[in-house]
This record gives sequence, C-alpha cells and structure tokens, in this order.
Amino acid sequence: MKKILALCLSAAMALSMVACGSKPAETTAAATEAAAPAATEAATEAAATEAAPAGEAAEISLWTYPIGKWGDQATVDALIADFNAAHPEITVKVEYLTYADGDDKVNTAIEGNAAPDIVMEGPERLVANWGAKGVMVDLTDLWTDEVKADTNASVEAACRNADGVYYEYPLCMTAHTMAINRDVFEETGAWQYVDEATHTWTTENFLKAVQTLYDAGYTNVGAVFCGGQGGDQGTRALINNMYSGTFTNADHTEYTANSAENIKALETLVAQDGINFDPAIQGGDEINLFVQGVLQMAFCWNIAQETNNAEILGFDVFPMAFPSDKDPQLCGGIWGFGVFDNGDAAKVDAAKTFIKWVCDENTKASVEASTYWSVRNSLADMYAGDEMKTEYGQFMQYMGDYYQVVNGWATARTEWWNMLQKVGAGEDVVASVETFVTNANAAAAN
Amino acid sequence: MIKENIASYLFLLPFLVFFIGFVAYPMFMCLFTSLFDATMGREDIFIGFQNYSELFHDDVFWIALKNTLVIVLVSVPVTCAFSLWTANSICKMHVVATSAFRCIFYLPVVTGSVAVTMVWKWMFNNYYGIFNYVGTAVGAIDKNINWLGDERFALGCIILILITTSVGQPIVLYVSALDNVDKSLVEAAEVDGATHSQTFWQIKWPQMMPTTLYILVITTINSFQCFALIQLLTSGGPNNSTMTIMYYIYYNAFKLYRYGYGNAMGVILALIIALLSAVQFKLGQEKD
Repeated sequence: MKKILALCLSAAMALSMVACGSKPAETTAAATEAAAPAATEAATEAAATEAAPAGEAAEISLWTYPIGKWGDQATVDALIADFNAAHPEITVKVEYLTYADGDDKVNTAIEGNAAPDIVMEGPERLVANWGAKGVMVDLTDLWTDEVKADTNASVEAACRNADGVYYEYPLCMTAHTMAINRDVFEETGAWQYVDEATHTWTTENFLKAVQTLYDAGYTNVGAVFCGGQGGDQGTRALINNMYSGTFTNADHTEYTANSAENIKALETLVAQDGINFDPAIQGGDEINLFVQGVLQMAFCWNIAQETNNAEILGFDVFPMAFPSDKDPQLCGGIWGFGVFDNGDAAKVDAAKTFIKWVCDENTKASVEASTYWSVRNSLADMYAGDEMKTEYGQFMQYMGDYYQVVNGWATARTEWWNMLQKVGAGEDVVASVETFVTNANAAAAN
Repeated sequence: MIKENIASYLFLLPFLVFFIGFVAYPMFMCLFTSLFDATMGREDIFIGFQNYSELFHDDVFWIALKNTLVIVLVSVPVTCAFSLWTANSICKMHVVATSAFRCIFYLPVVTGSVAVTMVWKWMFNNYYGIFNYVGTAVGAIDKNINWLGDERFALGCIILILITTSVGQPIVLYVSALDNVDKSLVEAAEVDGATHSQTFWQIKWPQMMPTTLYILVITTINSFQCFALIQLLTSGGPNNSTMTIMYYIYYNAFKLYRYGYGNAMGVILALIIALLSAVQFKLGQEKD
C-alpha cells in the first residue's frame, strides 16, 4: 500500500511540475470576458477614462524591457521622480525585465490575471502578440491629429493593427546595425572593402573582407548566432540584405524566407571561411565576444551597445549597415508603451496619464534615457552636436520595412533560430528554410 | 481518542492544504487541460485526445523522448555507481577526511544551479573555454570544439554536468548507509575469511538496498526532469540534439503558448516516470 502511495506521489509531483502553464477553460472564458475585445470596448473605455475624476490616487505597475537606460533603475527612478512632481497622486512601481525571460514573465502574469498596467516594448509584442490576443487597451484616444502629424509615418503604421486599433504609444526608435573592429580591419587590409563615408558595403566586399581577416589568422570573424531568439534581428538583417531578400511579403501576411535570394545568402554564409553558425550563443553573447575582441564583427548592434560597453571597449568600433547588393534595409526598433486591460478604469486612466507625460510632456529626457531617437519629427535633430549620435543617426535613412507585426511572430522567431541551427549543422538549406516557412506561415494563418 | 484524531488531522492540515493546492489540483488541471486546445487570449476548445494523437506524430517529441531516455540511462547508473564507489572509499578514511569529502561532493547541490551552470558554460565556451585551451595545449584536439554547439558533443556535456550536480546527495546517503551497516556481521564475515569484495557484496550491499532503491528513484526522476541545464545552456539545440521532454513541454507551453499540448506531454512524462518507478520498486522488492 505504501509503495502504491509512493508511486502516486511520484506521478503527482511530475504532473504538478508540468502543469504550471495550464488553465481551466472556465478561467480562460472568464478572463476573456473580463478582457473583452479592446476594439469594441474603445468607446466605453474612453468614456470611462473621461468619467474618472481627475487627480484620483492610483498605484500602477510598469514593466520595462532593457531599452537603453530604461533598464537602469537610477535613470528610471529619476524619471519617475520628475513624473511624481507633476502627478503626486500616481505611484508607479517598476519591474525590470530582461529579453531572456521577460516574455515568460509577462505571459505567465497574463495567464495569472496579474499583468502589469504598463509594459514598455515594441509593436511585435504590444501589437502583434498581446494586442492580437485581446489583452491590451486600445490607445487610439492618445493618438490625436497633432501627434499623428508629428510622428514618423512608418512608426505610426507599426503601432496599430490591421483594423486601425492602436496598441502602442511610441517613444523612441533606432535602426539596428552591425559593427566591425576597425583596428583589425585596418591592420589586415580589410578596411579597403568598407565605404567609410556611408558606413556601407556591398555583399561582395563584405565577403572579401571576411576572407581577408580569416586569411590573416582571425578564424572567428563573425558568428551567425542561433542559440535562441535573442538578437535575431541581426541574423535576419544579414541574410535578408545580402541579396535583397525579404522576411515577409509587403502585406505582412506571409513569410518569404524561402526566396532564392535568402537561400543564396544562407548558402554563401555557410560556405564562407570565418563565419561560424554558432548554436551555443545568442545575440547578447555575440556582443560580449565582439566587445572582448574574440569576434571581429557583430551582427547584433546598435548605439546602445557602444554606449553601454564604452568603458571596456579596447578598440575602435565602426558601425556598419548590413552588406547589400542594393540599398541596405535595416531592421528598425520602435519602443513605446502599451497598457494591459486589467479591468480597472482608474488604473487605465493613470497609465495613460503616465504615458502621455513620458512621451508628450517629458519627451526629450525620456528619449535620451533610451539612448535612441525620438519618433517625433519635431525632435529629429535633438542630438545636434553629438558626434556619436550623428554617426549612428546616419543609419536612420536605411530603416527598412517594419515586418515584425506579422501574425505568428512568436512562432516564427523560434522557428528561425531552429532553422539556422539546422543549416549550420549541414542540413540542406532549401529543405530547412521550407520547414521554417511552412511552420511560420501555419502560425501566421491561425 | 476523537480529540487525538482531530489533533492529528490538524497537524496534517498544512501539508494537506499545500498538497491539494500545489500538487493535486495542478495534477488534475494538467490532465484536464491536456484535452483542450488551450492557448492565450481565447477560450479553450475541447478536442478530446487530439493532443495525444498529435504528440505521437511529432518528430521532435520522439527526439526529445530519445534524448531524455539517453540522459536517464547514462546518468542514473553512472551517478549511482560513482556515488557508491566514492562513499565506500571516503567512509574508510579518518572522520575529518570523510566529512571534508562529503562537503566537497555536496557543494554543487547547495550551490545555485544557475551559478554552477554558468561556470560550466564558460568552461565549455567555444572561443575561450578551458577545455579547448587545455585540449589544444596538450595536443588532444587540433582546433577548438564548440562543445555545446556541436550535435556530437552537446548531449554528452549536458549529461556530464547533470552527473556532477547529482552525485552529492547519493554520496551522503550512501556514507550514512555504510555507517549503519551491522558491524558484527562484517566482523563475522572477516573472521570467516571473506575478502573485502565478498564482505561488500554479500554483507554490506544487501543492507544498503533500501537506500539504493531511494537513490535510483530520485535520480531517475531528476534526470527525467532535467530542465535548467537545457534552458541555460542549449535551449534544446543544436538542432534538437539536447531537446528533452521537460524542455519541450516548456517550449510548447511558454514559447508557442500551446498549453494543452504541453500538458499532454506532461501526462505522458508522468506516466513514464510512474512506470519506471514501479519497475524500480518491484525490483527492489524482489531483492528484499
């Protein structure tokens, strides 16, 4: 009898370990009802917001991903202190997420009906993921004509879904670049392949530069990191740019990584000396290896990496656009705020007040905290006179299509690095990308 | 008498509340949700046994099952054998040395798994890891090996780390079991001319069977539920070569938001563990 009991307990422990993500149908139904489709609630919500008495005390939670110094407690504390000087009635409690486990935390919180009031991230999460799942508040009322007129058009498009419902109120943006170790490039003669004035290079020159470095003894020139989804905008941009392939179609309804251009890029990279397909590292690891001088180029880079690593960089970093046989199309990062529908009109009201203050009233300081650029046209030259900002600011002209709002994005990201692992392990490129596209498109269709 | 019974149940109450809330209820929900197409942001849809049907046609699930079984079949015997050998060796030492070695082998158990894993990650690093450094320095390897990024080595590395972090508790248990062996029987056997080997296998080993059975069961369950190592080191890669059922459950539930499918896998995993535990109990019973 005791043994049977012990067996039952063993099984129970195993089951309970794996049941963390489960939820009952009733709970889901209740949650869904509570979080009724934001689109249909927009009017009601706006009315509720208007009806809420001005200056009502509220405590709201803000969860922020590490977007520049928005991941730094001292910086955020200072911003919130300034906010509280203007709005002492609203208390903002901040939790700092990482890209390694931030999504898990948010998703678990959503499932447990404990989502934060505000989350700071980009359209791929706020619009295409949580917005599409009906758990976000419609922020259309924040998008006044004045705001629309002053906001970069592609940014505005990315912040709303196909039905025109806005789930993000944007603060800042940047273009993701790559970077090279200028000292090593000059030392080996690979510098001749770089267009110094425009920070660009052709695919042919990129490959020549890599080969030159490899022949000079730098066996680890660059790494197509594929240990996870972290920093995958770098590998996507590299592969899409080399022969002008695309990640999705123009309508953002279908994944197109199986195009001849993308296949050629993958085959070229696999065959190229000095480029490792490395399943043991992700974007963050790649940045560290580049900063340490182990890798001679980084595919996951932007100005924040140079700013954050300024004290330990022992060489001259030269930011570059991705190699392309036409004009480079860089992946953009657009960051702003979304509000979770937690069913409390007062908190939604307070959250909107906070967002408006950060983005509209305290814009310059808030954008500076991100280390990126404002989405507002009126602040296009806010960094005039800053040498590094001017250097990185050149890349904004190469901002490509913001395709990250395509359906099934979360699945596509995981399928992407799995596909790169297969290609790196020597599996057939065509078959691997076909599998990626099939699985990603299946997710997009759901 | 009734008062005593009530008091007993009151003492049991905290555990029962915990058990019902955190074990029995999740277990029931795991079973229940595995019959639904459950995801975020919409009502669950009842689909009967479709998740189970899909599971058995999922290539990655079979890879994960195979990898999990390899981990169990390698790590459990190695952990038990190494623990027994180590415990038998150190229990013969001076009491101070025995305590010192017990502490040393137990350290990885009490050290945070994330910290231990990160140290291993550095040691296995493709670019500056100590294994590659020593390997190339002594001429054992021609060029750096991407230990965690190469399908041929990644699973082996995971098993190695799992073993090093798993032996601590069995060693401590075996040392205690050896201490509790009836000394009079050992002395009698030695007086009768039994060799060390005969004394160990004929006298000590039978008395340690309950401990061995316990160690086998917990090591098997731990090996089946190996998750943190995979999550921190390989995310199931490269090319699913380190994908385990536990990680695949997490991947489906929290990356793809397929809660029902993940729970169906959880049910299968629980059944496998229960079955293996039953076999181990049965074998242990026969030895008794």
